[in-house]
Amino acid sequence: MRRAVFGYLLVSVLLAGCAYFGDQTAPYRAPGVVEVDTVTDGKTLYMRDCAWCHGNEGQGTENGPSLTTGTNGPAMTDFVLSTGRMPINHPDQRVQRHASIYTPRDIEAIIDYMETFEAPGPDIPSVDPARGDIGEGAELYQDNCAACHASTGIGGALSVGGSPEQATAVAPPLNSSTPQEVAEAMLVGPGTMPVFGPETFTEHEVNSILAYVEYLRDPNNRGGLPMGRIGPWSEGAAAWILGLGPLMLLIVWIGRKV
Amino acid sequence: MIKRLTQWIDDRLGASSFAKQALNKVFPDHWSFLLGELALYCFLILVLTGVFLSFFFDPSVSESVYRGEYEPLNGVHVSNAYKSVLDLSFEVRAGLVMRQMHHWAALIFIAAMFVHMLRIFFTGAFRRPREINWLIGLTLLILGLLNGFSGYSLPDDLLSGTGLRIAYSVVLSIPVIGTWMAFLVFGGEFPAEQIIERLFVVHIFIVPVAIAGLMTAHLAIVWRQKHTQFPGPGRTEGNVVGEKLWPTYMTKSMALFFGVSAVVAILGGLVQINPVWLYGPFRAEQIPSPAQPDWYLGWLEGALRLFPPWEIRAFGFELPNPFYPAILLPGITFNLLYLWPFLEAKLTGDREPHHLLERARDHPVRTALGIAGLAFYLVLFAAASNDLLSKWLKIPVESITNAYRVLLLVFPPVAGLITYRLMDALRRTGAEGLMHLPLSALTRRTQE
Amino acid sequence: MENQGERSIRWIATAFGVSIVASLGLAVVYLLGGQPQAEGALLGAALGGISVGLVLWAKHLMPGGPEVQEREIRPEVAEAQAEVEETLQAGAEPIERRTFLAKMLGAAFAAFGIALLFPIRSLGGAPGRALFRTAWRPGSRVVRADGSPVRPEELAVDGILTVFPETHTEAADSQTLLIHLPEDVQPPGPPGWVPEGFVAFSKICTHAGCPVGLYEAESKKLFCPCHQSVFDVVDGAKPTEGPATRPLPQLPLSIDDSGFLVAQGDFEEPVGPGFWNRGRDD
Repeated sequence: MRRAVFGYLLVSVLLAGCAYFGDQTAPYRAPGVVEVDTVTDGKTLYMRDCAWCHGNEGQGTENGPSLTTGTNGPAMTDFVLSTGRMPINHPDQRVQRHASIYTPRDIEAIIDYMETFEAPGPDIPSVDPARGDIGEGAELYQDNCAACHASTGIGGALSVGGSPEQATAVAPPLNSSTPQEVAEAMLVGPGTMPVFGPETFTEHEVNSILAYVEYLRDPNNRGGLPMGRIGPWSEGAAAWILGLGPLMLLIVWIGRKV
Repeated sequence: MIKRLTQWIDDRLGASSFAKQALNKVFPDHWSFLLGELALYCFLILVLTGVFLSFFFDPSVSESVYRGEYEPLNGVHVSNAYKSVLDLSFEVRAGLVMRQMHHWAALIFIAAMFVHMLRIFFTGAFRRPREINWLIGLTLLILGLLNGFSGYSLPDDLLSGTGLRIAYSVVLSIPVIGTWMAFLVFGGEFPAEQIIERLFVVHIFIVPVAIAGLMTAHLAIVWRQKHTQFPGPGRTEGNVVGEKLWPTYMTKSMALFFGVSAVVAILGGLVQINPVWLYGPFRAEQIPSPAQPDWYLGWLEGALRLFPPWEIRAFGFELPNPFYPAILLPGITFNLLYLWPFLEAKLTGDREPHHLLERARDHPVRTALGIAGLAFYLVLFAAASNDLLSKWLKIPVESITNAYRVLLLVFPPVAGLITYRLMDALRRTGAEGLMHLPLSALTRRTQE
Repeated sequence: MENQGERSIRWIATAFGVSIVASLGLAVVYLLGGQPQAEGALLGAALGGISVGLVLWAKHLMPGGPEVQEREIRPEVAEAQAEVEETLQAGAEPIERRTFLAKMLGAAFAAFGIALLFPIRSLGGAPGRALFRTAWRPGSRVVRADGSPVRPEELAVDGILTVFPETHTEAADSQTLLIHLPEDVQPPGPPGWVPEGFVAFSKICTHAGCPVGLYEAESKKLFCPCHQSVFDVVDGAKPTEGPATRPLPQLPLSIDDSGFLVAQGDFEEPVGPGFWNRGRDD
């Protein structure tokens, strides 16, 4: 029964892929298919969702990079899978945050299976923002993170980078990232992000940064409406719309005959 | 009571004939004549809130370790200037509201001056005999920009420090005297320690006094020349129709002051502005993002972003890139504006005194040029947030910059031409407004 | 009509009443320790109440006009102008006759004016060579902002670090971005400047001086968040996009005997934004 379903899915995947992408490379699976499935065997999941681009042994193909070199490893895998950055439905698709299609157990299983690739990248870090010092974190954040992710953690624009199709073009906001994900990103430098490894920051410093990033998710808005915390842009808009706007109405009212 | 007071004053100052004239002075009642007053009252609020702030602000940049109410910066090295702003925001009762009111009032102050200037421009109110007041008004606008920028820089936070750094680089780009000027203004190579203290003096003394003086002159001249007015039944070059100062106009004006204060207070309390605690203290090697200036410098920031990577170099000398968008452009802009009344008089040959205003359609060329100019600066202004747009639309920032570059060249002439056609059609058909314009009027041009 | 007036009075009184209540509330909030949003809203209501009340009062219960006032057409113009001219000329006559003295006075004013300019000089030091030099010297150890020296093994591949010359962490013009390039990247700059893939560029944008803090490790580009200039690290930090016209100057690095990163010398050209005689370093 199960095999029949799987076979049916596979056929529909291929058909849908051909129909959907026309003469482009057929994808390894149609969008959304895995969501109805409940496989928890890491190898099966890997073969189904990752191998098409990254190869059976993580060696990489023309569709996707090798997973056995660079900073690839458990931390990287956990990061891309738990933030829903992977899998993507097509090699050209923008890699960005989505709801993860896997349960934590799925991810663990995939990571376990991928251990066999012996990738050199770092292990999943254990973090505890509560042990950090938020003041130190603020300084380190401004020093190392704010330029891309914005002073207020809302993310920011980047340059084209590589080819326009591959461009991330933005440093993502940090306000939906868990401390674990932030720490992993620092270790592996996903995408265009530089690496901030254990050579650069001590464990305490990492926890301090995480504490400040946590704080930025809901910072002190003592002044009132934060208006997106994007700085003078929204303040200028408010000065015109909420400031000068009502005042113009007021002077029109004053000037009108009764 | 009134009787005794009048007697007492007249006895000593002999002011009765002036007072009588003043109380009976007639003010036109069209709403657009209150735009300047809006700016005036913003300035008054700026002075009132600014005096409060100055009691708490410390312009020194000597550093200490922050230990205050705002926990996330505990243990961070900050300058006294930055610390005093944090203390003002978190520890002084009503301090944050005052600070935010001050900043909102500044943004609205410049917006009001700008709209006031547009009204004067598009109705031809700058024509003889009011050229002097055009010059003074424009100077007030420039002083407003200057004071806005100097005040914005005082908290010594990372965002404003970046603005100062750009200002320094812009000064540096001036040929021959640029290096000296930058060193004299900033007290040495950036970031020299003196700049905050200097800006403090500029911000709370030099420029405000200049603004107050010029505003007084501005008003005295309006008083002396009497207001212009829109044409209408019973309104001639020889009279002013409206309301007497006492009591109606004075009451309305007072109402406006309280109204401006109310809007500024509500914004100051409910809408957060310039949360410097999130930007962190200034550090020369740090950079905030996104980095925008306050809105009124957006056009210069946009020009810096849009200007292509060009500069002139010869024999080891150079005219660096920021010079063109940040020195030359504002230089041309303000000079053109200063000269406008005289240029227009020369080009049209109209040197007669005017007290009746023109409608935009009465002078299609001026209106079209004004709209084209506005369109130009609007594109520059929009370009100052190309990075934010890039983030929101997920389009590479380079593509957005290039699109703005094209827009900068195309949009102003198109906007100007369309305006010209519309104004011309309005003039010919005598239609009441754009909505009443018959379509056929747009397709034909003036037969002359 | 009377009815209308009565109604206006009620509205105006209400507006002033709102203002009074809000002011009292403001006092209470303040005494209780203050709260910015409550303060702003109440202050706004207190002021707004007065404003609305006054507008209604002026519009409904005060003489509305239209009043007409004649604009004086300045009857005395010709006569008065002639008088002023005459007075001016009469007074100028004894001055004009003494041309020599007038010239001397002019010269005295001019000289004094120039003398007055000199205190301006006290505002800041001479630029001198300050803009041409940074604090990097041959053998300067590369240190972090906290002063600790950097060993190659302390920065991961694709990692970045803002560094300064040893003992000069306060020198803003010497801030430098240290980047650890992967092995497969051809090192930029002259041979021998990039030991073990460690390359360093001035962090100050050559456009308007902002710290070029964004490193995009994948494409090896530096991005300036102020005006969006992009510098290609692999190509010697040449600008590829945006308004910058010049590459970020590269710092020649090497590794000393104790295994620390050191500079071989200062940048070979002035760092940061352009100025008129930047090319005349003599």
